[in-house]
Amino acid sequence: MREHVPDDQGMILVLLFVVGNALVFGLGGVAGPDIWLAFLTATVMALPMILLMARVRSLMQGAALYSGLEQVFGKWPSRGLALVYALYAWRLSCFVVSDVSNFVQAIALPNTPKVVVASILALLMLWAAKEGVEVLARFAVVMSKVVFAVLLVTFILLLSVANPAEFLPVMYDGAKPVFLGAFQLLDVPFLEVVVLFWVFDCFSSKRSPFKVFVPGFLSAALILLVMTSTSLAVVGADWYSVFYFPIWTAVKRINVLTMRLEAIVGVTFAIGSFLKMAVCLLAASRCVTYAFGFSDYRFVVTPLALAVIPGSQWLITTLMEVEKSAIKTYPTSATIYQVVLPVVFWVVAEIRVAKARHQGKGG
Amino acid sequence: MVGLVILVYAAVAAFELWLWAERPWQKVLLYLVLFAGATTLAVLPVLNPDLKVPEPLGFLEKLLKRLWQKGGSV
Repeated sequence: MREHVPDDQGMILVLLFVVGNALVFGLGGVAGPDIWLAFLTATVMALPMILLMARVRSLMQGAALYSGLEQVFGKWPSRGLALVYALYAWRLSCFVVSDVSNFVQAIALPNTPKVVVASILALLMLWAAKEGVEVLARFAVVMSKVVFAVLLVTFILLLSVANPAEFLPVMYDGAKPVFLGAFQLLDVPFLEVVVLFWVFDCFSSKRSPFKVFVPGFLSAALILLVMTSTSLAVVGADWYSVFYFPIWTAVKRINVLTMRLEAIVGVTFAIGSFLKMAVCLLAASRCVTYAFGFSDYRFVVTPLALAVIPGSQWLITTLMEVEKSAIKTYPTSATIYQVVLPVVFWVVAEIRVAKARHQGKGG
Repeated sequence: MVGLVILVYAAVAAFELWLWAERPWQKVLLYLVLFAGATTLAVLPVLNPDLKVPEPLGFLEKLLKRLWQKGGSV
């Protein structure tokens, strides 16, 4: 059965996927006061990759994902590639579950074992992934209203305690921290969008991948830029990279009618993380079943979700490791999954489609 | 503990298989293989809590670091 996601819903799904669990971490902290420049640099660097993914998808001429892949790359190369990305998507879902379970343990439930939180999250994402991408996209649209409202209120209130002087002096340490910060942001969360390539089954038109990926990514980048920069202006550039959850700390400083408002940031984190882990599980399930030649993916969701529980406890064990994984500067595996393979993918697709067109004209 | 983990995973797999309307052997085989993988993953850290995370691309990272330190010459 073909799963069709309208362009506007797909765009919101991309947006919430990118914002996802990234909102509470000290993203790009290495850039210090130049964090906004790091965000802009990362956005400019990531945009060609996003356009490239949209271009590959549009080369499939409106075909469903897997028939399109077979048209463009052939049967076995596309299956091999699907298996590689299944591993990547599954690993990413483990990371997100680990992020959330560590966050919950650090903030709210210090005596609850992480495996309990991880098991509940795994059950939730299992349910969501079995419902499919259409339901996830509709859920994203509904919940986006809550997320936007919370972020807008938080942003306005943060302005009352923000100090714009924290951004000065601009580029005091030169361009290096800006680029290091930008590379951190490319790995997590900007180019994680590559997972979404495997989630959308079919689009409304040939231009739809561009309408979904580009505005979704740019809006998410803008939201993250605004929220992290404002947090840095509240907690200060030096402290921003010291805290595990700088936005959480910044929101704690808002004092409206003696209320503590940081819990509402937790709401956006919970929604974004849930969506992200469900999308990753869905992508992993779809890739695994396609790699083994099945059209239905739902029957493998349960074992993959149950594998995420130990995976999230094993791949990342402590809060320090969570932070390290969120702010590391571009490891080799990310380069391969997020840059090398998509570029190879695109070059092969362009060559094969051009050849097919040429043969079509010749014949 | 290991026995309990295996039992829980096996029970979930058996229950879900029982719920399936049809059970083509290819699907059942992939399902069981993935479940066995998930169970192994759950059991290994219980048996050895200090188990290292495999790094399939670790050699590439080491090679790049070596090349970087040597200024690009091997």
